Amino acid sequence: MSWESVIPNVFARDAHLDASRAAVRPMDDEAFAGFYERSARSLWAYLARTSGDPALAEDLMQESYVRFLCATLREEGEVAARRYLFRIATNLLRDHWRRPRTTPIEDVPESFFARCGDAAQAESQMMLGPALAQMRPRDRQLLWLAHAEGYSHNEIAEVMGLGSASIRLLLFRARRKIARLLGEEQRGRAL
Amino acid sequence: MMLRPCPREKEVKELVERGHWPVAAETAPELRAHVNDCRSCGELVLVTAAFQKARIEAAGTAKLGSPGVLWWRAQLRRRNEAVERIGRPILGAQIFALAVNLLLAVVFVVWRARHGFAWLSWLEQLPQNATLHLDSQWFDTLWPFALFGSGWNSLLTPMVLIPAAATLALLGGVVVYLASEKQ
Repeated sequence: MSWESVIPNVFARDAHLDASRAAVRPMDDEAFAGFYERSARSLWAYLARTSGDPALAEDLMQESYVRFLCATLREEGEVAARRYLFRIATNLLRDHWRRPRTTPIEDVPESFFARCGDAAQAESQMMLGPALAQMRPRDRQLLWLAHAEGYSHNEIAEVMGLGSASIRLLLFRARRKIARLLGEEQRGRAL
Repeated sequence: MMLRPCPREKEVKELVERGHWPVAAETAPELRAHVNDCRSCGELVLVTAAFQKARIEAAGTAKLGSPGVLWWRAQLRRRNEAVERIGRPILGAQIFALAVNLLLAVVFVVWRARHGFAWLSWLEQLPQNATLHLDSQWFDTLWPFALFGSGWNSLLTPMVLIPAAATLALLGGVVVYLASEKQ
C-alpha cells in the first residue's frame, strides 16, 4: 500500500489549480507588458478624473495591476481582462472613499498640488472638473464608464457590481444632472 | 420620470464616440435638427463629447511606470500568499496536537488526583537514590507512571499510553490539515 492511498488528496489543491490554469492561461510578462501599454492610460484617466487626485490615481493604478496579476481570470480575451481590471480599480476607489480621511494637509507633498495645477489647466478639466466635483462618487464612475469608456449597461453592471436594471436608472439621473451642470458652465463661460 | 430612450440615441452616441460629431451633423442637417430638438440626444452629445475630450487629455498626461516592476511585485505577492496558505493548515495541526496533549495531561492529573498524590513520593525518594543502579528499582523510582503498580508490568501501561496519545495527536493534526486542504 502506497502512502498516497493512505493520505489522499494532499496535492489535490495543486491539481485543481492546474485545471483552472488550463481554462484561462495566466499572462506572461511580455503579454502583460503589451496589455499594460494598451490599458494603463485609460485606467489612469478613469482613476484620476473620478477621484480628482492624480497621485491617488497612480497608487490605485499600480495596486489594480498587481491584484489583476494575482487573480485568476474566469474569461479569456483582452476585453474581459480590461473589464476585470476596471472592476478592481472601481472597488479600490470605493474602498478609498469609505475610509476616513486622516492625512493632515501638512503631510501632503507639494508635488501633489503642482500636478493638480497642471491637470486643472487642461481645457476639458476646466469644464468637466467643476461639474464632476458636484457629482456623487458613484455617479462619476458610472458616467465615466458609460461616456468615456463606452461601456454598455451590462458591462457597467459587471464592473460596478450592480444590477443592470438599476444602472439604467442611475445613469439616466446622473447624465441629466451633469448635462444641467455642464450647460450652466457653458452659459457662465459664454457670458 | 420617463426612461424611454430616444430611438436615434444609439446612432448619435456612436457618432460622438467615434469622433464624427459635429462633422457628421454638417452632412446630415436632419440629424442636427433632431439633436437640437430632442432633449435626450442633446444631453447625450454634450456629456459624451465632454467625457471623450477629458479622456483623451487625461490619457495624454498620464505618467506610466514600468510594467516589469508591477510584474515582479505581483510575483512576490503571489509567492507570499502561497507560503501563507501552506503555513495555515500546518499551524492548525500544531495547535490541534498541542490541545490534545494538554487535554491528556489534564485528564491524567485529574485521574491521579482522584487516587491521591502518593505517586509524588518518588520525588522525595530522589535524593536518597543518589547512587542509582540500572535495575528495575531504578526504573520504578524514576518513572512516575510506574507507580501505577510495581515492576515491569506497571511500566507497560504508560509506555503504551504515551505513544498512543502522541500518535493520536499526530493523526488528528493530519486530519485537520486534510480537512482544511479540501476547503
